[in-house]
Amino acid sequence: MKSALLEVSGLNVRCGKFRLQDITFSLHKNDYLIIVGPSGAGKTMLLETLVGLRKSDAGQIVLKNEEISIRPPEKRGFGFAYQDSLLYPFLNVRENILFGARAQKRHKEKATLKRLNRLVDYMGIAHLINRFPVSLSGGEKQRVSLARAILINPPVLLLDEPLSALDPQTRDAMRALLCEIHKTEGIGIIHVTHNFDEALQLGNRMIVMNQGRVLQQGEPAEVFDKPDSHWVAQFLQIENIISGKIQKKDGAFWFNNREQDWSLGPLAKQLPAASEHHEVSMVLHSWQIEVLPLQTSAGKANSWNATVEKIVPNSHSIDLTCGGYGSWQVSLSRKEWRKLAVEVGAQVTLSVDPAHIHFI
Amino acid sequence: MDSISRIHKEINNNGVFNVFWLIFILMILFLLLIIVGLLTYTDAESMATVLQQPEFHFAIRFTLETSVVATLLAVVFALPSGYILSRYNIPGRAFIDTLLDIPIVLPPLVSGIALLIFFGPLFGEQLERVGISVVFSQLGVVIAQWFIAAPFAIRSFIQAFNSIDQRMERVARTLGFSPVRVFVKVTLPLAKGGLLGGIMMAWARALGEFGATAMLAGITRMKTETLSVAVFLNMSIGDMEFAIATSIVMLIIALLVLVGLKMLARSEVTV
Repeated sequence: MKSALLEVSGLNVRCGKFRLQDITFSLHKNDYLIIVGPSGAGKTMLLETLVGLRKSDAGQIVLKNEEISIRPPEKRGFGFAYQDSLLYPFLNVRENILFGARAQKRHKEKATLKRLNRLVDYMGIAHLINRFPVSLSGGEKQRVSLARAILINPPVLLLDEPLSALDPQTRDAMRALLCEIHKTEGIGIIHVTHNFDEALQLGNRMIVMNQGRVLQQGEPAEVFDKPDSHWVAQFLQIENIISGKIQKKDGAFWFNNREQDWSLGPLAKQLPAASEHHEVSMVLHSWQIEVLPLQTSAGKANSWNATVEKIVPNSHSIDLTCGGYGSWQVSLSRKEWRKLAVEVGAQVTLSVDPAHIHFI
Repeated sequence: MDSISRIHKEINNNGVFNVFWLIFILMILFLLLIIVGLLTYTDAESMATVLQQPEFHFAIRFTLETSVVATLLAVVFALPSGYILSRYNIPGRAFIDTLLDIPIVLPPLVSGIALLIFFGPLFGEQLERVGISVVFSQLGVVIAQWFIAAPFAIRSFIQAFNSIDQRMERVARTLGFSPVRVFVKVTLPLAKGGLLGGIMMAWARALGEFGATAMLAGITRMKTETLSVAVFLNMSIGDMEFAIATSIVMLIIALLVLVGLKMLARSEVTV
């Protein structure tokens, strides 16, 4: 395996009572790493430690095979952008973008100016080059801030909630731009966000943090489908977390929600060995449950009858709460909803593909 | 028209506040009359005569020289002090804050006596031996002005540094600037408005300083005679015309400083 672009191991940072503890992860060239976690999880603190604005108490930060843990920020070479663009009001757009090059006294070199022109062209800010930040919109400022961070060709770009201060339309355009920057520049990106859509759309790797620790990491889709703890499942807003036991019956595994005398299975054979007879939680996204018109054959494997208790229409989907052997959150596309055409109080049949079921 | 009718409405609707309006208008009128009174008490001819006198020339030159030097000195002390007080959690903060406020709160006469003791009985001899004589000298004028002006500069410099989003400086670090270069290239330009405001405030204080100057440097005609001292000296010997003309010049300078401050405040660029 190729050696990682950025390797962080056993990183510990203290700030008052709060501590980042034993942060370990790696970032390869072309990785887009998303970090999610609730407010106060230590995400910004982690980024500030990586760039050198905070001192670490223990652990290593290795960038391109060089240990950089004790280098000052100006000798680390990360690109860094905060949530608000933080442009220098006394410089125009062009001077803001060239600011990093000025630190290295390269702001007048031909190669730098060529890169500046290329950047502002594909980032759509060429027409703003002589304007001052005060006259720019939020989205424009954020583009300039990104251009400023990547002009100096950093191997890794760190972004602290870069899109959260923007309106939805601007955010979509910026997402596309980030994708483009990632592809065009061929750099590693670490992007802190609260937005799970951003995680799934942009990231190829994801870290979930809480209280200064990394709780889970992996590919975003994998983390969303297979959270490995109750807390992560709840944080990722997975709608159905049902506790019960896994039992072996007739040579197959079944999930049994004992109190309701309801079971699901046979389940896939690759279940965690220790899970049999232990209390486990079954994790199901709302979109993983299928809603069918009431079927007479209900009661067959992996489907059961329930009553529609609540209907919440959203812009792209309809969310149902159904009661029957527990309470289930189900989400349907508008098209599926039109086909189903039921009202509160109606009986439906819920069905699950056992391959979707994940236990923690 | 709109705003006038709004004011009418205010007056009609808020009976209780009518008294407030009355006092407010009286205050404004009083200030205007004070200034107009001073300006009109003399005539152009006697004004011109005074402005041609060598004593006036000495006083205005001496005041400008000493106040500019005192302000520069104040800046030299205020820049590091303001930065440290804005950025670092230092022990004994409350004590230091109080200490800094003393020259602001203390009557200048008392400051002057304290300075006189310091540069006289306390360290006067030692300083004299290395050729520095402060008491009843022109240097004394500079020191007195500096002592009164510096706390104002420090106070406004702290404000100026506090108003900067420190993440701006952090971004500059990640872009490759060392802490010193960040201070020069980012902190100072961001604080510029506040710093210039503080410098003007300090200069205005130095310009009009009288009490501490009188105590430390004395009021000697054509030697330690600042504009304030000139007004006092000439009032005391009954030369009203000189005193008034000098006062008018000082008033004009004060107005110019105010206009300068307002223009600075307006040109402040927001992020």
